[in-house]
Amino acid sequence: MRILRFFITRIFLKRWILVLGMIILLFLANYLSFTTARSVISTFQGYQEIETLNQEGTFISNLDPNSEADFGNIKIDDTQKVYEYLNNNYTYALQANGFVTSLDNKHKMDVIFNYINEESYKINQFRLSQGKHLNFNYKFNKEKMPVLVGAGLAKTYPVGSNIEITDPVTQQLVNLKVQGVLKKNSHRSNFYAPNSKTYFNFSIFLPVNEGFIQSAGRDLHVGGLMDIALLDSTKEKAMNVKEHLQENLGLDFNFFNQQENFNYFEDYYVDSLKIICTITLILLIIIVCLAVWNNLVCIRLMIKDFTINLLVGLSYSKLRAIFYSYFGILFSIIIAILIVITAINRYGFWLSKDSTFATYGIFGLISMDWMALLIVLFIDFIIGFTIVELTIRKIKSIPISVGVLQ
Amino acid sequence: MNRIMKLEIQEKTFKKKGFSILNDFDLEVEPGERLSIIGESGVGKTSLLNIIGLLDTQYQGSYTLFDSSVKDLSRNKLAEWRNQKIGFVLQESALIHSLTIEDNIKLPLMYANIEKDLTAQDHFKQIINKIGIESILKKKPLECSGGQRSRAVFARAVMMNPQIILSDEPTASLDLENKEKIINLLFDMNKEFNTTVITVTHDLDLANRHERIITLEGNE
Repeated sequence: MRILRFFITRIFLKRWILVLGMIILLFLANYLSFTTARSVISTFQGYQEIETLNQEGTFISNLDPNSEADFGNIKIDDTQKVYEYLNNNYTYALQANGFVTSLDNKHKMDVIFNYINEESYKINQFRLSQGKHLNFNYKFNKEKMPVLVGAGLAKTYPVGSNIEITDPVTQQLVNLKVQGVLKKNSHRSNFYAPNSKTYFNFSIFLPVNEGFIQSAGRDLHVGGLMDIALLDSTKEKAMNVKEHLQENLGLDFNFFNQQENFNYFEDYYVDSLKIICTITLILLIIIVCLAVWNNLVCIRLMIKDFTINLLVGLSYSKLRAIFYSYFGILFSIIIAILIVITAINRYGFWLSKDSTFATYGIFGLISMDWMALLIVLFIDFIIGFTIVELTIRKIKSIPISVGVLQ
Repeated sequence: MNRIMKLEIQEKTFKKKGFSILNDFDLEVEPGERLSIIGESGVGKTSLLNIIGLLDTQYQGSYTLFDSSVKDLSRNKLAEWRNQKIGFVLQESALIHSLTIEDNIKLPLMYANIEKDLTAQDHFKQIINKIGIESILKKKPLECSGGQRSRAVFARAVMMNPQIILSDEPTASLDLENKEKIINLLFDMNKEFNTTVITVTHDLDLANRHERIITLEGNE
């Protein structure tokens, strides 16, 4: 330990600018590796989550970006017709997210109402930490609506509690009964960008059945159509819906299967990921070269002190251990910085009361952050090993002589 | 024959510079012997010291030290022997300037991992008293005189009670009084502990005070 302290304080830190430069470069490499790894993990998770939609007969709607939509002209009667048509002819999964409402809660966060039908609920396979799953066979306006609440609302609205609120889509006073609590950090990945997530810690899930749809307003009707998934269907039947929507609402929807959505995502995402990976790799190579050069400069500048140390008992294996410890310390500092930055970033969503991204985790970091950090740690091991072994090899080639001391 | 080292060098080659030294050089040394090596600049005195001091193993020939073939020893073993069996008495400049005199002297203890050992601490105090440098322990080398620095270098060399002391121009740049002090310390060590002393020097007066003198000559 004393030898290590001696080398750090008397040799490496003697050229502190080089150490600082090294920390900055290593941090850049770690940060890039971290964001890349996290993005890959998030994408992988997203692929797995929405893989259930990736099967024959499933078509997902998507408002054509070139369509000139005039939502103001859409009438409730028209949307009702659309849903009647869908109910009579199709099996579909509907989930409409993002209806923000004010509801008292311990964290003073906005609460988001999410409406989900039975098919969509089956596909999402939400996991509960308490209570029971949703049932869809209730009578709207006659019975209490069973709901699920996000983990962030569990203390304020535990299982069995009632919530009386004006529903934002029916504009009616409804009585909700909490039936279950979602597991912490329950989320859904975006169909078109599996690396992007919406978290449900401050959401309330309301079951949508035919009765509810009939009572719902235009916003839910139109919002629900944006990501509606036709199940057990055909391309031809999907085209019929497309025509129906065009005729009744004047909106031009595309119906893609999930594989097409994945392909669309990969077109731009994989290319950008390749660029990031290439930049990271180049940076890592530069860092390894600079680190070796930096160590050699330190040793050459301190060749007299280094020789004295060799005369009195320093061995190359001790020197190797010193270098490994030194880089271990540097990497620990950098990973600690990375953890702090990520935690601040995650905590920022709580501070800004952003219900969609507020998450729970150890030190504020969620599982994908820790997994990405683990990958960074592994990369650091490889970088550290390469730097130290190359440095030791180079140092061994420097002739050591008492002549240096004369 | 009772000997501490046997060195048989065919040649030491410097490939990049394109020449060789110490051609067909043999040396045997007995325990407790006082030996000086003299010769003109460039004949290989320092190179010989590097070889004897286990810093250089790149030569043609054989070297037996303490009944072991040096070429068979691992780098770790060589470092351990430099720490425990060999002491280097060098010029007064051979101190690390960023460390205090005490830290400089204790370096061998640090590498032997006995710095906190009570026996080692007693030994440290005895040596410091004997050499008379208690007052400069907390000072940095550049705050001390040349004589004080020389004695500190000597203290470091004998801190582990080495069996061999290799000294390279130990009195260069010292005044007469300090030169005598260092020579006396060196020979006291030799008498008291039967330590082998090998000195490389240009100083004929110093060389003559050894039991044996070896003169290295060039290859011309």
